[in-house]
Amino acid sequence: MKGQHKEVLFGLYNDEIVLMSAITKARKQHLDIMDVYSPFPIHGLDTVMGLEESRLHIAGFIFGMIGTLTALIGISWIFGGSLMFEGDWPTIFGGKPYWSLPAFVPIIFEMTVLFCAIGMTVVFYIICGLGFGVDNPILDERITDDKFCIAFQTNGMGQSDIDHLNGFFKKSGAEEVHTRTI
Amino acid sequence: MKQFTFEAKQKTFLWAVMGLGLLCLLLSYVFEPEQIAAAGFHSRFWSNILHNAVFFTGIAFMITFVMAAFTTAYAGWYVVFKRLWEAFSLFLIPGLIMMVIIGLAVYAHLSHLYHWADTEAVAADKVLTGKSSFLNKNWYLFGTIIIVGGWIFFAKKFRELSLAEDRSGHEVANFAFQRKARFFAAIFLPIAAFTGPAMIWQWIMSVDAHWYSTLFAWYSMSSWWLAGCALTIMLLIYLKTKGSLTEVTKEHLHDLGKFMFAFTIFWTYCWFSQYMLIWYSNVGEETTYFFERIHEYPVLFYGNLVINFVLPFLILMRNTTKRRYGTLFFTSALVFIGHWFDYFYMVKPGILNTAEEAMAHGQEGGGHTAEHAASFVSGFTIPGILEIGVLLGFTAFFIYFVFSKLEKATLIPQNDPYLEESLHHEVQAYE
Repeated sequence: MKGQHKEVLFGLYNDEIVLMSAITKARKQHLDIMDVYSPFPIHGLDTVMGLEESRLHIAGFIFGMIGTLTALIGISWIFGGSLMFEGDWPTIFGGKPYWSLPAFVPIIFEMTVLFCAIGMTVVFYIICGLGFGVDNPILDERITDDKFCIAFQTNGMGQSDIDHLNGFFKKSGAEEVHTRTI
Repeated sequence: MKQFTFEAKQKTFLWAVMGLGLLCLLLSYVFEPEQIAAAGFHSRFWSNILHNAVFFTGIAFMITFVMAAFTTAYAGWYVVFKRLWEAFSLFLIPGLIMMVIIGLAVYAHLSHLYHWADTEAVAADKVLTGKSSFLNKNWYLFGTIIIVGGWIFFAKKFRELSLAEDRSGHEVANFAFQRKARFFAAIFLPIAAFTGPAMIWQWIMSVDAHWYSTLFAWYSMSSWWLAGCALTIMLLIYLKTKGSLTEVTKEHLHDLGKFMFAFTIFWTYCWFSQYMLIWYSNVGEETTYFFERIHEYPVLFYGNLVINFVLPFLILMRNTTKRRYGTLFFTSALVFIGHWFDYFYMVKPGILNTAEEAMAHGQEGGGHTAEHAASFVSGFTIPGILEIGVLLGFTAFFIYFVFSKLEKATLIPQNDPYLEESLHHEVQAYE
């Protein structure tokens, strides 16, 4: 979808309580909200917006499992003695067998945590469109300070639909309504 | 003003279970394992008392500790069930009485619980002589009285301040009592952190008088807290089904479930660290502890890990299981029994060894190479029916005590400044 510009119609609110009730109204009227912006996290906003549970933790689980397997297979490959590995560099530590699981547990644990943490961070950045060299347009500078914003995407909408959205903003208590192409 | 009423029906039931527990305890005095009974010892009886007394006293102690930690951290979410925890913490008083009974038995050489209590054995043993400045009957009895007495002072102080706040009658939130409670909590935390391990070393770790582990206190204290947390969840769900604590919602239970989940991992972390360090360093005096447990008590050793780590970890991992009363109650019951089982594992093998060494000592005069005659010893190898009966009896006693304390104050601390926060507590989970 690169290169395609979004036409955005957004209203700015002064109060998060007004914002919350506006979102509820919009959802009742089956208006398709593109996104809601706020300078700080608002308790209960996810529920009001009807957002689904994030699937980030599934990614975390998968990355964790990859870490576990990397550590287990890596150690087994080096020391051998189990998991069908002969051992690339079998070494005796403290008279223990080549393949001694209790000693591997801390390493397996740490690798799990490392893979999980880095993998989740990277996935999070990708989902949110953040990262080096990525330019994210801001609809209005004030939504990082003291304004709350509901945005609708108006690509391909007729004038009557846009009028309808304008009417919604007016009724739901928006202080200002703007359009922008991003 | 909401009040909890301890119904006559509940009282009768709890008295009946307590009677059953007492019967089982007395029966364990009669049905000693043959070889121990032959020597005239009552190790099964005394170890049952020690095991359960320490377990329930420890729950009361850890709940006091966690309450103090919450108070210093300005935590508000738990206020709706704070009264229940205050009642838990006051169980330190009967706990002290039970520990003093055991201490007196040790003092009078009645019990054969501890190898270090045998003066002749200590004189002939360099290791025990070296430890005798800490492991001796005076420290055991008077140390217990002074330290547990100190814990009781703080538990009563927290309760007193909370009740005074309740009576103060201020409409507006009043932080004066909170500030005082925070002052005492901040003093209690370091004291508890040092004296708790000292008591665990005395009460539990010294049943294996030659063995020691620096991680033992962490491991057994997290076990106490988990058992207390599980018992809290079960009692809260019970009280809710009775319709008396409706302010506690599944949001609070979700957070308690999270605590149980997190500390299950913490417990396993401590357990594993203790195991791995001893396994890796391979010092003979230390490895015998695990060698014996793996080979002679495989049910205790592996069962402990399954009940206390694998099952709660897998069940509580998902969000929804912590928010359904059925699964949460089931898991709490599992964790509660699991940590009682954990204490069984800590206490019983060591006491059997003490008894066997004392018997060998009697026969050979100073020998230390007691043979393990039988592979299965009833009431020691795995918990028998009598042990389960004793657990039920002690649990009934604990609940009876908690309910009778719960009855004495308003069920919800109505003037607590954090009450509103607690009533509206929400973790915002997706279901």
